[in-house]
Amino acid sequence: MQTEATAVSKPISSKDNYQSAEVWTKVTGKAIYGIDLRLPGMLYGKILRSPHPHARIRKINTAAALKVPGVRAILTGSDLSCSPYGIVINDEMPLEPDHVRYVGDEVAAVAAVDDKKAEEALKLIHVEYETLPAVFDTGEAQLPEAPQLHENFPGNVAWRREVVRGDPESAFRNADLVVESKFHIPQFHPAYLEPIACVAVSEPDGGITLHAAVQSPDIVRDLLAQVLKLPLSRVRIVGPVMGGGFGGKVYGNLNLYLISAFLSMQTGLPVKMQLTREEEFTAGRPMVAAEIKMRMALGNDGTFLGREMDLITDNGAYSNQAPWVSNTLAERNDSVYHIPAIKTKVRLVYTNKVPTGQYRAYGNQVANFACESLIDMAAKKLKIDPLEIRLRNCVRPGETTVHGLQIKSCGLAECLAAAAEEIGWTKRKKGHGYGLGAAIHASGSVVFDPNLRGASARISLELDGNISLFTGEQDYGQGTHAAFSQIAAIALDLEPSRISVYSRDSLVTPYSMGALGMRQATIGGKAVQLAAEKLREKIIRTASEMIGEPVIMEKGRIGSASGRLVDFTEIAHYYHGRTSGLTLTGEGSYVPPESSYDDAKYGNIAVTYSFAAHAAEVEIDPETGALTVHRIVAAHDSGRIINHLSASGQIYGGVVQGFGMSCLEGYLFNEGRVANPTLADYKIPTALDVPDITPIFIETDDPEGPYGAKGLGEIVQVPVPGALANAVADAAGDWVTEMPITAEKIFRILSKRGAAK
Amino acid sequence: MSYFTAASLDEALKALREAEGKALVIAGATDLFLKGMPPQAVDIASLPELGMIVEEQDYFTVGAAVTHAAAASSPLIRVKATALAEACAAVGSPQVRNLGTIGGNLVNAAPAADAAVALSALGAKAFLWDIDGRRWGEGLENLYAGYNRSRIDSSREIVLNLIFKSCQFNEGSAFARFASRKALSLPMVNTAARIRLENGVFTDVRLVAAPVKPAPTRLFKTEEALLGKKPNEETRHAVEELASAEAEVRGSLLRCTAGYRRHLIGVLAGRVLMTAVRRAQGEEES
Repeated sequence: MQTEATAVSKPISSKDNYQSAEVWTKVTGKAIYGIDLRLPGMLYGKILRSPHPHARIRKINTAAALKVPGVRAILTGSDLSCSPYGIVINDEMPLEPDHVRYVGDEVAAVAAVDDKKAEEALKLIHVEYETLPAVFDTGEAQLPEAPQLHENFPGNVAWRREVVRGDPESAFRNADLVVESKFHIPQFHPAYLEPIACVAVSEPDGGITLHAAVQSPDIVRDLLAQVLKLPLSRVRIVGPVMGGGFGGKVYGNLNLYLISAFLSMQTGLPVKMQLTREEEFTAGRPMVAAEIKMRMALGNDGTFLGREMDLITDNGAYSNQAPWVSNTLAERNDSVYHIPAIKTKVRLVYTNKVPTGQYRAYGNQVANFACESLIDMAAKKLKIDPLEIRLRNCVRPGETTVHGLQIKSCGLAECLAAAAEEIGWTKRKKGHGYGLGAAIHASGSVVFDPNLRGASARISLELDGNISLFTGEQDYGQGTHAAFSQIAAIALDLEPSRISVYSRDSLVTPYSMGALGMRQATIGGKAVQLAAEKLREKIIRTASEMIGEPVIMEKGRIGSASGRLVDFTEIAHYYHGRTSGLTLTGEGSYVPPESSYDDAKYGNIAVTYSFAAHAAEVEIDPETGALTVHRIVAAHDSGRIINHLSASGQIYGGVVQGFGMSCLEGYLFNEGRVANPTLADYKIPTALDVPDITPIFIETDDPEGPYGAKGLGEIVQVPVPGALANAVADAAGDWVTEMPITAEKIFRILSKRGAAK
Repeated sequence: MSYFTAASLDEALKALREAEGKALVIAGATDLFLKGMPPQAVDIASLPELGMIVEEQDYFTVGAAVTHAAAASSPLIRVKATALAEACAAVGSPQVRNLGTIGGNLVNAAPAADAAVALSALGAKAFLWDIDGRRWGEGLENLYAGYNRSRIDSSREIVLNLIFKSCQFNEGSAFARFASRKALSLPMVNTAARIRLENGVFTDVRLVAAPVKPAPTRLFKTEEALLGKKPNEETRHAVEELASAEAEVRGSLLRCTAGYRRHLIGVLAGRVLMTAVRRAQGEEES
């Protein structure tokens, strides 16, 4: 295995940069995305949404709408037989029967022969509302006189957690320096190119087939079966190609899927539904907004003694994944450094705004903005170099962090040093700002379902001598499937192009938790490796049986000591004939070591941990505060890199997103209504805005990951906000503590300091 | 929707006449989907007489259907009406610039339309023709009826071209904008200036800022204060203060506060003025 591991990490070659066949279908415009789907007899569904942030539904009259020619069905909340459901908290209905809680809440749905007829019908549905007082601010929502969004949640607190590790009281008492600050973080949308779309097909056997591109199809399948009250075996998810997900499509849009399923069951025809871009912004699931109050205790030499965080997260009207995001936001950054004492308080609060969810790193990236800013604030007061203070405190291999994460391979210190070296840290130019941000991320999270921590894969030798690999892990641009082909190729001594990967039909692909928590390469890849190794053994055994001599496998050829050669095709046919039609198949199941994660959420949550340090170089126009980000150096420890091209692509994309959320993006609200629900006003970076990005790989060799590899999905975005905040502070003299870091906010700092020209 | 591509101006006017108010003139059509489809469209984008850039006897005639991309890359405009080239290069994205026209930019009547701001500073007049055969010219600042509302009635009037004096050897012009993103972004502020220097002092200044009012807004007081002054750092600071004080602006949730916008107008006014001065002095060619 040692020599093969070397083969993966050798310098870039065409084999190491292998791209799956699907990439070419995307480049040539042939890929079929969810929005491209057309099925015979298909109807089009549209949703009537609440125009009020908070109201009772008194009456809905659909008579006029039903008379529109071409309208096949109209559903309202009271037509649905389901109960409230949720991912963490059961607080949501696909269509709300009597109580709407945000502008965009689903009230009724129409299926018609085309989009226009459906839209025409929506206009004729008459809804009588009794408007209720609404609350948009998390602080006001917790006051006793505030309107209640959900009966079961007095005070509008959906979820709370307090955690103490070590002895924070004495840490703060004995500190030489205590720094504190408040940080404000708005909702962010991943702004994937393809809005969420689906086609639901009510099957003659009473089941449902849902065509939808989601990151975790098996979890969506479980939820659909549960809400639709169908046996699990009667629910099938088939995935078209996904036009970007970035964590925003972990569970896609469950209300949309459920409504299309109900409409299809009602009409007996396939029903296609698709969010408009505006609906994506106003009724999608942007990332949780946060108010962070943070204090840090340090010794005079810069040693971190303790950290306190008081976090209020804005849930919006329903919970979705917000409790998980709040939890990660609250604690993951504590494990970047050696911090012996922690005190954290989190409250997730309902407001009459768009419900929130997850985007790329479960809040870790916005917590980075706060944590890394505060570290530089402390470093400045202690007159310690920001690089030095990070190297002094950063987590090291073999360490168990304050929350019980067990760090095996860890190149964080090396990442910091490499990023600083590449950006020219010691030779910093005057008039420019330089900043650092460091990150840890759980690579191969195992705690989403403690009963199903790992992954499985199945791999078969086809009659033509090629290989088919079945996995539940989804590829939506990260290059997972190319990497899987490469991993299997190493085990089978083949060209990766001979291994096709299938992942998108729950009828045939193995169950998976899906693409989240950087599971894919680490856990999914390990299962692929194990499956391929099993197939290799079976192929060798069968070949040997076939020619009656011991054989060895090399470069896709199998031969005996006597010089007899057999190829994969012959072996496949031999086995096929001998077993009356079976194919040689290897099944791999990777079960990670038992998680020590306990009820107090202490313990090891992942198979491995990835690390990163980013360095940013910026320039500020002293007259206007305008920010130019010249460069971001992104040094990553993701273990052995399987595919340098895909890995670099991950970094470019993640850094651009990190830059966008740090400097341009963010929801704006006007009385609870999203004020910038278009790509014209919700500004993601254009090619002209993107800084120069330099990826660096610190290739540690992880004992758990496949051939030493670790994840590189969510973490690529995480250190960017911190690095940029610190670079801006270096140039402006003080920190912008509200994301995004706009020119106007920088100018305000310059004016306050009298530094504006 | 019916769509008619006019082969001549006469044909276009005839089509409008026959449609009796139901047809609208379109050219680049880059905002058509935003504003909704008219029942009938008369496309004038390919009329040759509307696509010309001509300089004759020190006067520019720029056809209304000249695209932003064409204006931005015209050597004549780049040298003798630099502000317009800069403004056109800053609009939208390459796709928008390749289709969107200067006449359309005016008729669209956005309060901070880049080309309109530059043209206003250059002192351009728009020449129009209506379906009754009437032809007339109008200062382009007079073509606005309100925010995003033009006085030009596209069901019966066509902008033919824009006419303004080209910058002479002792003159210069410049344009600047400030936006949160480098492309596809409405400006928080844009400004343009045209100046003349004689014996080392300002003898003519046109300084325009937006969005201040519905139309590009000349900062008359600042202009006046500059006459007879030497172009130096002191003058620049004075302009920053004057322009900032003179412009009455509003803030917006989506762009910036009124205070910051006012500050930006000052800074950008100073910048376009000094860039225009350098051009007048022949120190810089874009």
